[in-house]
Amino acid sequence: MSANSLEEVIRAAGNPVDLLRHSQTGPNVYPGVPPEFTNWRDEQQAWQKTCVLFNLSFHMADLLVEGRDAVKLLSRLGINTFKDLPLDRAKQFVPCSHDGHVIGDVILFPLAASRFNLVGRIPALSWVQFHAATGGYDVKLELDERSAARKDPFNRKSYRFQIQGPAAMQVMHKVLGKPPPQIKFFHLCSMTIAGKHVGGLRHGMVGQPGFELFGPYAEGEAVREAIVRAGEEFGLRQVGGRAYSSNTLESGWIPSPLPAVYSGEKMKPYREWLGAASYEARASIGGSFVSSKIEDYYFTPWDMGYGSFIDFDHDFIGREALQKMAKGPHRKKVTLALDDADVMRAIGSQLGKGERAKFMEFPSAVYSMHPFDNVVAGGRSVGVSTWIGYSSNEGKMLTLAVLEPDYARPGTPVSFVWGEENGGTAKPTVERHKQVEIKAVVSPVPYVEAVRRSYTEGGWRKQA
Amino acid sequence: MKNLEEVLRGAGNPVDMLRNSQIGAYVYPVVPYEFSNWRDEQLAWQKTAVLYDQSHHMVEQYVEGPDALKLFSGLGGNSFTNFPVDRAKQLAPTNYDGYVIGDGILFHLAPQKLVFVGRAPAASWIEYHARTGGYKVKTEKDDRSPGNTKGKAVVRRNYRFQIQGPNATQVIEKLHGGPVPEIKFFNMGVINVAGRKVRALRHGMAGAPGLEIWGPYEEREEVRAAIIAAGRDFGLKEVGARAYATNTLESGWIPSPLPAVYTGESMKKYREWLPAASYEATGSIGGSFYSKNVEDYYVTPYEMGYGPFIKFDHDFIGRQALEKMAGKPHRRKVTFAWNADDVAKVWRSMLEPGDPYKYIDLPLSNYTSASYDKVTRGGKMVGLSMFAGYSYNERSMLSLGIVDPDIEPGTELKLLWGEEGGGSKKTTVERHRQVEIRVVVSPVPYAKQARTTYAEGWRTQATA
Repeated sequence: MSANSLEEVIRAAGNPVDLLRHSQTGPNVYPGVPPEFTNWRDEQQAWQKTCVLFNLSFHMADLLVEGRDAVKLLSRLGINTFKDLPLDRAKQFVPCSHDGHVIGDVILFPLAASRFNLVGRIPALSWVQFHAATGGYDVKLELDERSAARKDPFNRKSYRFQIQGPAAMQVMHKVLGKPPPQIKFFHLCSMTIAGKHVGGLRHGMVGQPGFELFGPYAEGEAVREAIVRAGEEFGLRQVGGRAYSSNTLESGWIPSPLPAVYSGEKMKPYREWLGAASYEARASIGGSFVSSKIEDYYFTPWDMGYGSFIDFDHDFIGREALQKMAKGPHRKKVTLALDDADVMRAIGSQLGKGERAKFMEFPSAVYSMHPFDNVVAGGRSVGVSTWIGYSSNEGKMLTLAVLEPDYARPGTPVSFVWGEENGGTAKPTVERHKQVEIKAVVSPVPYVEAVRRSYTEGGWRKQA
Repeated sequence: MKNLEEVLRGAGNPVDMLRNSQIGAYVYPVVPYEFSNWRDEQLAWQKTAVLYDQSHHMVEQYVEGPDALKLFSGLGGNSFTNFPVDRAKQLAPTNYDGYVIGDGILFHLAPQKLVFVGRAPAASWIEYHARTGGYKVKTEKDDRSPGNTKGKAVVRRNYRFQIQGPNATQVIEKLHGGPVPEIKFFNMGVINVAGRKVRALRHGMAGAPGLEIWGPYEEREEVRAAIIAAGRDFGLKEVGARAYATNTLESGWIPSPLPAVYTGESMKKYREWLPAASYEATGSIGGSFYSKNVEDYYVTPYEMGYGPFIKFDHDFIGRQALEKMAGKPHRRKVTFAWNADDVAKVWRSMLEPGDPYKYIDLPLSNYTSASYDKVTRGGKMVGLSMFAGYSYNERSMLSLGIVDPDIEPGTELKLLWGEEGGGSKKTTVERHRQVEIRVVVSPVPYAKQARTTYAEGWRTQATA
């Protein structure tokens, strides 16, 4: 009998950890854009030195939530408060499981008083859909799946671009023909580009202001072309699929928390609702961190740096569990700067006669949907690393990690374990290899900003 | 500008035009980058079996009519005295001065019906003569798929698959439903696939037997599924676009000599016929070899290893020139095995301050349509490296190229990697420094030689 739900898939597999670590789903492609428009080195450098256009139109899902109970539903699921929610502000919406572990995080765009668009990875959106379908809410939903999960990959409802980098505002000025709206971070506005009405979200990367722009998919090309043309004199580069996913190493957002849905009696109805072909059933975990307990792969909001979003002023799923956790101690999100010589040893092993380390892809060395690499100190695990890649801006291999508080202080030496045990799991992205340890220095998040500050003030490296 | 001749007139020097082309990377389109991972995909063609999807990156040039054979015989140095239906040959047409325009496979499909399959330059040359030479032929072109499909569906006339590797015979027998009647190398036959009769060309890589099969594009997924099912027990892997182009590093065919069409009065009519958007007008040259004289980039069939095909038993374009060359010493095609420490040094520079060396991408390291890197001994140029990448099988960076006739196998030479003055304006070129990489002159094909003499090592033999 083939499985009909995530619950049945897990039952057949025995342990969800084994299911996910040996997932046969294969490479997770960043779709819709070429791997490189020019070359990934220059594309990375442009977001720190000039300006870039990210095309986010394809890799995220959109969920429209509309109706009398829209706020009630979202408020019931989010750790965030929905009191006095202004219409001109987006927020990072974070739903948790009953045990207070993160299911996902997405951006919530208010469109009207009881009309919202949620944009991001699918797990958080599926969780909202489940409650809308089963919780008796008076809401209407409309899901617009990411390209990889649809039969018509390039027939999205909206386009979504970001203009980022030090010259972003000059490019905006040029393409708008007037100064861009002066609004605060995460505030919304509307503009006209190439004669099209464009929604805007004030955004920013590594301390530089930028905009996220969105509108009907059919108008995307005209808007994109206008921006690219306006950006020419400012050195704007379009960013391809290879460089895109490495930008978060510099800005510090963790894209890939494992949705905390695989365990717990209270989550069982959801697992029975989720299909056997759902993201959750087909996702992959990769890396050196191995535990037979799936809960060890879950994050709390504090682990992700979202502690400040939690507002106990409302009733929401996970509230009680989070109240118990609130006083801590909490793990902390950090950047790990990997040791150059050890990185070279791993990379150089591709040319040697001996055993080879797991191939380290440039610039993103991520080889599963949910990377979990072990971070060790004093002979034991002190945390996990969740995202890895190279920054040509920093000339460094960086990872984003979540560490025990005692080890999270900048400057702390730790070891990062690269590759999987016993030659590697059965994931198609994993060739036979030997696990290696790479020295690392705990560094702040975001890495770039910290380093910049450190140049003028003496810096955490000296302090440490 | 309407044609290549006008483009060249506008550009001044063809070398500078091609070296600063803005076309970007030479893409192997449509096929997913990786099905599993490129390491295991490379491994499979030496250890088990692979499915190459060649449906997209080549042009199909059909020629049909009473003069079809006459046309090809007038363009190719190959003898056409014994070329019946169901036979194929490698056709490498030259210009009037005997320099290579391109090469590909010519299939004799039916009486008076042939198709040439390969990169654009030779196909265009064939089309030109078919349309302008007064031959009684009809011609039809099916162009390669676009590099960036921008979401549009791609339709080719045919799918084109190869089944290769040591287990290819078993996969083919399983697919066919029994032993396949012997088809000789470069002969065609028919096999059964999923209830269809499918035409097949006996092909092979590095000594192992294999088949190339083709048929109507709409049947491709059905045929692919049948091959994958047949290959399941024999370790067959689908090869993605990243690994695909690197197979030639082990088998020794040079895919990308610069078409010798940019100079000479005798070629002017052709340049006036070639569109301004043609491969010849938009393609790129890259690498450390820089001469203002574009003819220094031309190669002869002898240098490409096609000397044995040339038969002066018929009249063809370039015959007189080749007859003069025939008896003289020729530069020789070789594999260059790159020094591991020097390659590691290039990668290490990415972790060090200042401009790095030119990035060596894996597994395919070309950053241009036609690669030309200078190879020297004692400061004097003695060869050219023309196609570079990494072989997971051989654990080495390898490149294909040509050396002066007096250079012995086993000789250590220096390959200059990267471009002068920080790099050309090609979009694939980041600012970088040039660096010398030691290379050992090695036989072609590299893999076979390495296998047959594994115990003693060909390097020892060659230098002894």
